[in-house]
Amino acid sequence: MASVARKNLFEDIPRFLVAQAGIMFAVSLVTIQTGILNGFSRSTSALIDDSEVDIWVSAEEMVNLQLTLPIPAATVSEIHAMDGVEQAEAFISRTTTWRSPTGDIAPVQMIGFDPASRMFRMGQLTEGAIANLQEPYTVIPDRANLGALGLDEVGQSASINSLPVTITGFTRGTQSIASSAYVFASLRTANAYLNSGLTTTSNCQLEGDRLTCSNMFERDASDIALDPPRALRGSDGITFVMVKAQPGQDLNVLSRRIEAEFDGMVAHTQTELSTLTRNYWVGSTGIGFVLGLGAGVGVVVGVVIVSQILYASVVDHMKEFGTLKAMGASDWMIYRIIIEQALWMAILGYIPSIALCGGLGWWTFATQGITILITPGTAVVVLGITVGMCVVSALFAIQKVTHVDPAIVFKA
Amino acid sequence: MVVSSLQSPVTYPIHSLPAPAASSSYPVEHQPRRAAIAADHLNMVFRSGGGSYPALSDVQLRVPSGIVQLLMGPSGSGKTTLLSILAGILTPTDGAVHLLGEDITQMSRRELARFRLENIGFIFQGFNLFPALTAAENVELALKTKGVSRRFARKEALDLLEQVGLADKAKQLPKNLSGGQKQRVAIARALASDPPLIMADEPTAALDSHSGHAVIDLLCRLAKERDRTVLMVTHDPRIIDVADRVLYLEDGKLTQTPQS
Repeated sequence: MASVARKNLFEDIPRFLVAQAGIMFAVSLVTIQTGILNGFSRSTSALIDDSEVDIWVSAEEMVNLQLTLPIPAATVSEIHAMDGVEQAEAFISRTTTWRSPTGDIAPVQMIGFDPASRMFRMGQLTEGAIANLQEPYTVIPDRANLGALGLDEVGQSASINSLPVTITGFTRGTQSIASSAYVFASLRTANAYLNSGLTTTSNCQLEGDRLTCSNMFERDASDIALDPPRALRGSDGITFVMVKAQPGQDLNVLSRRIEAEFDGMVAHTQTELSTLTRNYWVGSTGIGFVLGLGAGVGVVVGVVIVSQILYASVVDHMKEFGTLKAMGASDWMIYRIIIEQALWMAILGYIPSIALCGGLGWWTFATQGITILITPGTAVVVLGITVGMCVVSALFAIQKVTHVDPAIVFKA
Repeated sequence: MVVSSLQSPVTYPIHSLPAPAASSSYPVEHQPRRAAIAADHLNMVFRSGGGSYPALSDVQLRVPSGIVQLLMGPSGSGKTTLLSILAGILTPTDGAVHLLGEDITQMSRRELARFRLENIGFIFQGFNLFPALTAAENVELALKTKGVSRRFARKEALDLLEQVGLADKAKQLPKNLSGGQKQRVAIARALASDPPLIMADEPTAALDSHSGHAVIDLLCRLAKERDRTVLMVTHDPRIIDVADRVLYLEDGKLTQTPQS
């Protein structure tokens, strides 16, 4: 026999469509908010997650990938020399100032790495090649930031910290929503831009009980000529040492050994640093709360809409439900009809919503570079929320039908 | 004595039943068959807004099994209230109701529901069919409610529709059926799983004269074929000739003849 619930649902198509639109709105709101949170969280640690680095070594004050104190570049070779370490490379990540071709300035996160590295990945190149970064004073930005950086195409020129820069390619899928625009460069180039050839001299004089200081900024004569950037010296500051362990090494043990060897430094596995960075941004920005609140509103809206539709449907069929009760049907049989109706509404609202959000996520990534990350786990959780929302909504209708007086069947 | 004709009302002596109480409002006769429906000293008082409104007053009733019992009376006389009580849907203020020998006034709500499910088929004035279900599905739903398996329910539903002359309407929705056809679907539904009691509330009220008579003829014929007891509440005098016995209810009191 056909399902009474399904037939009741499809009996009034316009009302069914209104209900489904409401459910789709609620499901989409929850999915998008969750997807944005996932995308935000994922974007903050994308550089870490996409790398093949086993251990990240940094100053012990390190807060996340973008916020740490410098460590000497000499640490790289020292760590490389340790037992159990296969490869060690320098990684630079610091904020500096970008001046666009039109003269507008913007903050950028300069990411310096060895272009020949087998450990670090800078997303998916859409134009150019990583090897292009071997050319001095060249960078590869993320496509998501073309507008912010005032760029249109490869080959354009701009400046960083008053030094000229040429765009040699574009990448995508790397940008953290929480950070300034990423620009990728070789270690040498990054080091040159971050130190930018400027030297600072402080001159302080004690006059009586008063200390007077003045700062003098001077450009190095060799930088004016734009010589090729020099190789990193041991005293230059870097932000991380990326470590590839030898096969079979216990990463936690190796991390503890590195920390014991280098005073004032901390070693994190890839997972640890990723979690640290995500938690920092999600926690410190309050974005988790804001997006969670939005998702909660979506659930409330969904419950209200589904409740109203189910309640109206039950009221419309009160006489039939009363008839079933008069005939001797158990309460559970009637509840089952209502709950089945709610489940049908959940499933039929969920499927198009997830498809819609998937399409929206693709569109936002393609056009805005913003990731709305709908993972299989997210889809399952949202399905659970949708089903829960509809079943909770059914409780109102069940409450109504529980109190139906079977004597109403004898009223014309 | 067995009913020999549907054309004239028959009254049954009920000497096999317990002696009625002296206060009985209906002079009970002796009859050879066991009472399918028995009510003793039924009173029903509705209370509303601080006032009380008596609907039934000391009603005594015996309906032998296998007959078509008509319960007539004007609007507001308490017919539907009495039917609701006899069906175990409404609880009387006091008094007892025995159906098929069981005291339903002592049953819990759950026991009553189970009793109705197994023993009573209902027919309503407004048909009360599920509008989204076809004729066959409406009958199937009743069978499924009684625990009949899906496959058997489908076959049984089609058989019942054939018996009420609606085999060709099995896949029609109620909105595509005439009033008479809807009531015939309701009869098929009431006969699902062959309950010993059938209770009908104004089954002809929404039908024209011809359809009404046809529906009642059908109901009575099927009930007689199956030796089922039918209690029918109506104020339609056109169907009086199909009943085995007629009682009148006026101002909450049962009589053998109409008082007005």
